[in-house]
Amino acid sequence: MIAYLANLATIVAIFGILASTLNVAIGHAGIFSVAHAVFFGLGAYAGAQTAMLLVPDPLLALLVAALIAGGLSLCLALPALRVRGEYFVAASLGLQMVATTLFSELKPLTGGIGGLVGIPRPELFGVTITALPLALATLALILLATHLLARGSFGRTLRAIRDAESAAEALGKHVAVAKTLAVAFACAGAGMAGALFAFHMAFVNVESFTLDQSVLVMAMVIVGGTGTLWGPLLGAALLLALPAGLSFLPFIPPTEVGAVQQILYGLAMTLLMIFRPAGLVGDLGRGKVAH
Amino acid sequence: MNRPQPGRRALLGATLALPFLGRSALAQGGEPYVLGTLFPMSGPNAEYGTVFTAGAQLALQHIEADKVLKRPIRLQAEDTQALPQQAVVGMTKLANVDKASFVLVGFTAVSKAVAPVGDRAKIVMVNGGAVGPDLSGLSPYFWNTIPLAHLETEALLPYIVGERKLKRIALVYVDDPLGDAILGALRDGLPKAGGTLAGSFSVPRTAQQFAPVAARIRQTRPDAVYIASFGAQQSQIIKQLRDNGISQPLLSYSAMNLDSVKNTAEAEGLIFTTQKTDFAGGDAMTKRFAADFKARFNSDPGTYHVNYYNAVWLFGQLAAMNEAAGRPVDGETLRAALLEKREFDLVGGKGRFDDKGNLTAAIQVNELRGGALTRIAG
Repeated sequence: MIAYLANLATIVAIFGILASTLNVAIGHAGIFSVAHAVFFGLGAYAGAQTAMLLVPDPLLALLVAALIAGGLSLCLALPALRVRGEYFVAASLGLQMVATTLFSELKPLTGGIGGLVGIPRPELFGVTITALPLALATLALILLATHLLARGSFGRTLRAIRDAESAAEALGKHVAVAKTLAVAFACAGAGMAGALFAFHMAFVNVESFTLDQSVLVMAMVIVGGTGTLWGPLLGAALLLALPAGLSFLPFIPPTEVGAVQQILYGLAMTLLMIFRPAGLVGDLGRGKVAH
Repeated sequence: MNRPQPGRRALLGATLALPFLGRSALAQGGEPYVLGTLFPMSGPNAEYGTVFTAGAQLALQHIEADKVLKRPIRLQAEDTQALPQQAVVGMTKLANVDKASFVLVGFTAVSKAVAPVGDRAKIVMVNGGAVGPDLSGLSPYFWNTIPLAHLETEALLPYIVGERKLKRIALVYVDDPLGDAILGALRDGLPKAGGTLAGSFSVPRTAQQFAPVAARIRQTRPDAVYIASFGAQQSQIIKQLRDNGISQPLLSYSAMNLDSVKNTAEAEGLIFTTQKTDFAGGDAMTKRFAADFKARFNSDPGTYHVNYYNAVWLFGQLAAMNEAAGRPVDGETLRAALLEKREFDLVGGKGRFDDKGNLTAAIQVNELRGGALTRIAG
């Protein structure tokens, strides 16, 4: 049971990093990206290739993943500087579709649909370790960085841009720089989550980096509470633990297990959004219909 | 105030707590062997999960009826949605919580994702659905009860080229290891058999529009079109090829043995390979399987039913060998028993496993007529 819970905790920590970094883009900067899984995938492939071709050093893999994902975040930042709202959602959707195709086709780098197998377990100072302590440490760092970022002037600038971009610009805020940095931070964090995912799974393929995954991460942020520190982590824990918990239901016949789980999962999410529209730790006054 | 009402909290809490109710009752049920399944039971590939499970359930019924084992078997299903991440969560649960020693898997990505977990925990994983050749030798504990796809394709060519005189073959293939393997088998095998590969057209796994592909196929003037795909895409390819003027015979492999394909009107005349199984005139085990399947599920069995029936039946035979020898039933002893005996009576005839745990079985060629399969060769 402990190994199972450790596995679940590792996945929750990895998706907690993903959700927390997406929250910087969505909750703080108002950039609604549905392409977060792209940078998760970039980090996963970068981390996997580093471990397979060089050394299975997780720190090196995390660094390479963050640099590649953060560097390529310009692909997301450029449209974010030109369009807002639903137009940006459409632009990021296009990026997600292009990236999924590239992940499938760049077989020398990604292994195509067949993916990369045989990713070695992480070794730190010559000792083989599991991905859990790495994931927890990275999550703690990301949460600390997010907290410091939100409290400082950069966080206030992002929130000003989110609430009224033109007004922020009129007040002399460097909108383009702030947006680019926010996107770079979010994407680099997603890349680190990807490297950890590759180490944990020992196998990666494009099916883990599709639009569905991006939507799932966005749902984690919204369910937990956008713009909050702990909300995305709580959202990740809930959305991953709930299906896992549903698998313990003893009375479901084997042929119906998937359908019943999906119905209960959907029902729980719907109830949550009805009763806590601002998310689990969001402001209770937000999101409700005014009477 | 905007505080949640107590009733609402209770409703929300009850919904979230629901998964954890009733565990104690389950834990009291003796000490059965736990046989896990990692199938897609929801999502676009759920049809496969239902089919795979039906074959396994019938084998459990027969093992119990024949009193093959001293202890009962409990089937523990985990829904993977055919995705690697969910599969690893399910596999870890089967290994560490349910203590399964034998797990049925399907789908290439799922198989590759769970193989390291099963290998570390020394749990036997048996695939009866995915046919990518890269599944061979994933782990000493990873076995296949389905002939891998390229072997089926190679078995089809002598009949197609030699007897049906269909020499120019065009290929529509999904861009993944399965499609690549079939492309390779046709490239190498067709010239040897006296035919040619008139053209090959890859399609993304998620594609649903095939009219442009049909137009390009027509330009190659093939005698027949081979379809190498799987899942919901198969029926779409067949229908759209026919809708766009492809009237030549369509060829494929055992993934077509699904009700969704059989019920597609445009699939009439489809020629595809499966493992050799003579349900009407075969051995007693095969006839019993076919009769009991019809009685229990009110439909005719297909290849996947056979594969997963054979996987579970194999577990029964291996576990019985270990029980008789006074050995525990776990991954290591199951593997030792497999390598010791190698050849087993299975549905369809005798099946033999090689060193890597791959089943070698005879292949037959079928034609779809009126929604039913007719064996035409093999």
